[in-house]
Amino acid sequence: MIEVRDLRKEYRDEETPTPALRGVTFSIEQGEFVSIMGPSGSGKSTLLQILSFLDRPTGGRYTFQGKSIDDMDDQALAHMRNKTMGFVFQSFNLLARLSVYDNVEIPLLYSSLPSAKRKKSIENAITSVGLTEKLYVEAARLSGGQKQRVAIARALVTDPDVIFADEPTGNLDSQSGLQVMDILSSLHQKGRTVILVTHETQTAEFANRIIHIKDGMVESDAAITRHHPPRGALK
Amino acid sequence: MVFRDAFKTATRSLAHGKMRSVLTMLGIVIGIASVIVLMSIGRSAQDLILGQVQSVGSNLIIVIPGAPNNGRFSSPAAAQGIVVTSLQQRDVDTLSQEPSIDYVVPEVRGQAEVVYGNNNTTIGYTGSTADFFQVSNLTDLSEGALFTKSDVDSGNHVVIIGPTLAHTLFGSSIDPVGKTIRVKNVSFRVVGVLKKGGTGVFGVDLGNLVVMPITVAQRQLLGINYFNVIIAQADAQYDINFVKNRMTAVLERNHAITDSNKDDFTIDTQADILSILGSITSVLTIFLAAIASISLIVGGIGIMNIMLVSVTERTREIGLRKAVGATNKDIQQQFLIESVLLTFTGGIVGLVAGAGIVGLIYLVLSNFYTSLAWQFALPFSAIALAVGVSTIAGIVFGIYPARKAARKNPIEALRYE
Repeated sequence: MIEVRDLRKEYRDEETPTPALRGVTFSIEQGEFVSIMGPSGSGKSTLLQILSFLDRPTGGRYTFQGKSIDDMDDQALAHMRNKTMGFVFQSFNLLARLSVYDNVEIPLLYSSLPSAKRKKSIENAITSVGLTEKLYVEAARLSGGQKQRVAIARALVTDPDVIFADEPTGNLDSQSGLQVMDILSSLHQKGRTVILVTHETQTAEFANRIIHIKDGMVESDAAITRHHPPRGALK
Repeated sequence: MVFRDAFKTATRSLAHGKMRSVLTMLGIVIGIASVIVLMSIGRSAQDLILGQVQSVGSNLIIVIPGAPNNGRFSSPAAAQGIVVTSLQQRDVDTLSQEPSIDYVVPEVRGQAEVVYGNNNTTIGYTGSTADFFQVSNLTDLSEGALFTKSDVDSGNHVVIIGPTLAHTLFGSSIDPVGKTIRVKNVSFRVVGVLKKGGTGVFGVDLGNLVVMPITVAQRQLLGINYFNVIIAQADAQYDINFVKNRMTAVLERNHAITDSNKDDFTIDTQADILSILGSITSVLTIFLAAIASISLIVGGIGIMNIMLVSVTERTREIGLRKAVGATNKDIQQQFLIESVLLTFTGGIVGLVAGAGIVGLIYLVLSNFYTSLAWQFALPFSAIALAVGVSTIAGIVFGIYPARKAARKNPIEALRYE
């Protein structure tokens, strides 16, 4: 599903090139749950940005679902992102004044789904994260854990092939963090590809494979024995 | 993103900052309202002026001494106070023989002190023939009678005065008819008082009019033998331009002019004057609207300012929308719709407010200045301009902030604090 070969990214700051990725190579199959770990500055966030089409590499090759990213313009990437990817951010990125329903609707505004069919998708996504009773509550009035569950519902609403989660438990207490990870695990169990970026080992171990990044290169890439099986939090 | 969704998103964003949206809109409201008010006043004034000119009759032809200047109505020589003596009695006599002309009325004009007892005032007077009243549509008198052809031929010292002057000289208790007034120290017997006051053609104050036989005015007040103006009333059966050409030919023959570029008189029809007056008032209206549109520009800059603030404040929102699939075009469209919505709504509110003010002006003028015949006018062009300009202002002043929003890098936008 995802294949990167010798992926490179260089940031230019006043003519001095700063390498962020220095030849990363791996592939991720459909249905995998992969954690990308590494200390800060290792390049893991840059890697996630490139994998999720928010940025382009300066070298190497990235193929997503058999298509090379080089062959697509920004508009095509935006459409692809909308159709095939869901995002969960550390800081939730909900629009505080909109209701849960309206926040979850946002990705659908940019999809080709007719508005008549949206309601069902939105309600299903919200129900799947257990927030049915909060449908029309303003996002600003939710707890941190609830906000992240809304963010997961928003990531799910377009029925994407892959979910990118960037430090999804970083702003949550341990209880809420566990709930969120349970939901992500359940999504994986239902066949979705989940790619998680974290620096917390405990969180990373929810995945079945961990890629360690250091100094812009893959330090290790190994399948792990599951320590935290999903507890069936997902409805 | 379909337009309906973009529209819904934009209205929702604006509704969240109601106070800000209203204040931002206020600039456009004031701008559009002032354009509407000034254009409407301009149109009403134009209607009023043209109406007054037309009320005299549409078949008048006016001859003024002095060469025409690029078709302008006022002769430059006369306008500069240069005495031009080209219009003579012979011209009146020969023009009177033309079958296509009903009346030929020569006029002389001057300024003098008018005295009755202890009351006096300095005003302009007119010397003309008995047909003056017919041609000027001033045959209605409140008292007395008009002077006659025999008064003119005999050089009788009689005058017709306007109602305001009658009141100034005689007050309300004395009947002016039969009384003797002095104009430039020459005695005249008042034989009639005009009924109609207010403003006449070319701003002539009908209330203060003094009209006397032209023979007396020429010989005793001015000491001249030429005319300041000749007014001809064409026979309604003839085409006005035909009559004008006939008159030109007659006058050129009288003045021995072979090259029509060297005419020593200016001849204009009522239509010519109407068209000149129309273009003058139109230019004035456009000028006023141009001044008013400065406030529109200020309002537009306000919109741009607020939109730029809004783009910065909503950087993370832009980042999020891009991350979940919004294209640059989607983001640009959303912000552009917001700015156009602001200016368009402002335009509609301004239009309503402007129309309200125009209505109020009409009510005041029609109730307190009844002689003015002020009409309510809300030209369609003003409405179209208000709606069009406000929409265009939204696009013009919204495009830069919208493009700025669209060009934001999603990664940096998502990190924005």
